[in-house]
Amino acid sequence: MLKFIKHNIIILGFSCCITGFMLTLVFGGKQTSSVSERRKLATFPSLSVESLQDQSFMEDLEAYFLDHFPLRDGLRRIKAYFAYDVLGQLENNDIYMVNGYAGKLEYPLNETSVTRAAEKMQAIKEQYFPEGEVYYAIVPDKNYLLAEQNGYPSIDYDRLETRMQEQLKDMTYIDIWDTLSIEDYYTTDTHWRQECLEETVVRIGEKMGFSQYLTNDYERQEIAEFYGVYYGQSALPLSSEPLYYLTNETTQAATQWSLETNKTQPIHISEEEAGFDKYNIFLSGAQALQRIESPLAKTENRLIVFRDSFGSSIVPLFLEAYKEIILIDTRYISSALLGDYVDFEAKNTQVLFLYNTLLLNNSSMLK
Amino acid sequence: MLFSSITFLYFFLPTVFILYGIASIKQDITWRNLVLWVMSCLFYAWGEPVYLFLMLAQILVVYGLTYLMEKKRESVAGKVCFALSVLIPFASLFYFKYTGFFMNTLTSWLPWPESWVKYAKGITLPIGISFYTFQLTSYCIDVWRGRVKLQKNLLSLMTYVALFPQLIAGPIVRYSDIDRELSKRKTTKEDVAEGIVRFSIGLGKKVLIANVLGEFVAEVVAPEVRGLALSWGYAAAVSLQIYFDFSGYSDMAIGLGRMFGFHFPENFHYPFISGSLTEFWRRWHMTLGGWFRDYVYIPMGGNRVKKVRWFFNLLTVWFLTGLWHGAGWNFIIWGLFFAFFLIIEKEFGKRAEGKRSLIGRMLGHVYVLLAILISFLIFHAENMEIALRDIKAMLPGASLDRAQLENASFMLRNRFGILLIAVIGSTPLPALLWKRVFAWLQKDVVEEIAKAVGVIVILLLSTAYLIDGSFNPFLYFRF
Repeated sequence: MLKFIKHNIIILGFSCCITGFMLTLVFGGKQTSSVSERRKLATFPSLSVESLQDQSFMEDLEAYFLDHFPLRDGLRRIKAYFAYDVLGQLENNDIYMVNGYAGKLEYPLNETSVTRAAEKMQAIKEQYFPEGEVYYAIVPDKNYLLAEQNGYPSIDYDRLETRMQEQLKDMTYIDIWDTLSIEDYYTTDTHWRQECLEETVVRIGEKMGFSQYLTNDYERQEIAEFYGVYYGQSALPLSSEPLYYLTNETTQAATQWSLETNKTQPIHISEEEAGFDKYNIFLSGAQALQRIESPLAKTENRLIVFRDSFGSSIVPLFLEAYKEIILIDTRYISSALLGDYVDFEAKNTQVLFLYNTLLLNNSSMLK
Repeated sequence: MLFSSITFLYFFLPTVFILYGIASIKQDITWRNLVLWVMSCLFYAWGEPVYLFLMLAQILVVYGLTYLMEKKRESVAGKVCFALSVLIPFASLFYFKYTGFFMNTLTSWLPWPESWVKYAKGITLPIGISFYTFQLTSYCIDVWRGRVKLQKNLLSLMTYVALFPQLIAGPIVRYSDIDRELSKRKTTKEDVAEGIVRFSIGLGKKVLIANVLGEFVAEVVAPEVRGLALSWGYAAAVSLQIYFDFSGYSDMAIGLGRMFGFHFPENFHYPFISGSLTEFWRRWHMTLGGWFRDYVYIPMGGNRVKKVRWFFNLLTVWFLTGLWHGAGWNFIIWGLFFAFFLIIEKEFGKRAEGKRSLIGRMLGHVYVLLAILISFLIFHAENMEIALRDIKAMLPGASLDRAQLENASFMLRNRFGILLIAVIGSTPLPALLWKRVFAWLQKDVVEEIAKAVGVIVILLLSTAYLIDGSFNPFLYFRF
């Protein structure tokens, strides 16, 4: 027995492993995208003298192999378990889990970035609506509700809030932090749940003077299986959860127009159109500049919202109160160009800056 | 090409195996050497397509010069050929590795034209040049000294220098180490199996330990906000990362060599358990230490000279050792740092030898570990200013606010597991435990199966890490 096994089993095991994976990698089926990682997978690189000389062929080929490796998701899962359970890491790829909620580490506070964001907001105000009625609210990211309480590091949120208030003295601050709890966020995603934002919307409405127009008469529409962005990053077998979006006559009558696509469509797009990220059903996801028209609004008022992705799900809940809402995401359009597209001087216009803490802590992307 | 890449593990390696197996059908070793040489060139060209020709040109030059040198051994021409065969590879090494450094250093005394400085900055370092230069020159010197016979077969010489397992990050295999195996070798099943096991251990050391420690090292915050515990953890992680990275590569190289019937010299032997720095250097990068001993230190007279000259010899060797590792002052200071302690050890250590109590021996280990931690902070830092900040952070005195303390505590807790594994893994304990367990079981079959399972588990886990992340630089490639 030993004579038969000795050395052969090692040679056989190793050889089968490397040749087996090689053959599967060469002849196995290839996918064009990864649903769990929400991205397109690398394509086979083109071979040329230039790509060989600058070694881009070699680098791209390795990337192609990594993307199309057999059992890729399974192997990533094994790595995640190894990191958590064998190495005793408290995170894997910066993702940590607390009571079924996935969070992504973000620390420490980058005061320079927060200052930069505030200066950017102030500069926009001074350029386009120096005398305007301007509000701002800060959306806490999940770490605010998950990290410190469970022994994970987080940014100093008090300091962030104070820093913003110190710098934005001529804007009205709307404190929404106490209106949110961890249950108001998706378990596997960064974002908040639209169906849980009633208290937050009322708080903003009270401060901006439109709470009397708000309604809670909505019908819940469901997308049964929603996997958030942390699902792919964690590589763990996290459960899906339903994604609800709220509709009523007002939201159904409303339309959105986007500068990038020059298309007018309903404010909730279809699951297919949303693509990898089902959260995109809210106002088509990331867009530089959008105009929402709400013909059934109870006022003729107008709102300009400078926002990030959190704005996509909360703004549809303002539609009872505003005839027109302009959404601007300065991550995708330079603030210097806004005057060409937006009328900031129209009557009955209010302005709201709505940014989440992750963006404020990484504000270099604001143009 | 990296050993720890999908391209190498799942394409290059099986292809070499298959081609080598086919070549082995023929009794003539030329075919096997040809396969290894061609594949080694492909391996090198994958990472350095242009510099492949530089390496091949240097081999050809050395081949020609050593041939002439042997023919005209007694004449001046022979001596000239010998001198050139050593000088040309070193000149090439100097040009590619040190031109920029020396021009920068001497700028304050010699005002070079701006265009020269710009040109020097544009020179890129060919991968593995420090290793193959040392191999080539050791061959020339050994032939000149008559220690080895001239290799008349160009293919054998090219296979020796370009052999992919040891081409780009060592160990520094001397020609005499594999002279016989280049012309006559038999690859047994035991060689292949043991080679696979050794390669897998190296792969695991690199991907599962060194890379994870590397992530920790990269994520640690600035020295001023680290606090005491994290600063020490960082220093330990830096030393362990360098050890696992380099010894992992050496294990993979030795294992690969074994799979093709070569027996490369060992390069590491649990250096962190050393009781003195002299012992540390007998266990760390042994092939480099041996090279400097045999080709620099002893020809300079070694320790059989007057004390002042001996100090000079030691300082020269360690200055060169530092410089070999990198064209930067921190590397030179790193080398001289060891020279300082080695001189003290050699001067005062001998008197204490044999008289050391248990506490004395323990203090010896503490001193070695402390010196190693500091030395590798110097080695790892981009410059001396950063190194000194890292070292200063290990002293008490820095005051951190609550958030900084919490962050530092988290970083340490998060990576405590890998640090513990690395510390234990750097000692002979795991190997000892393995031996004891299977000696107690007295089941060779179980041990063989356990080895096979271990190999597959390491391979799969390493693949999983490669797929999930991209943190995979080999530290010693820059040398």
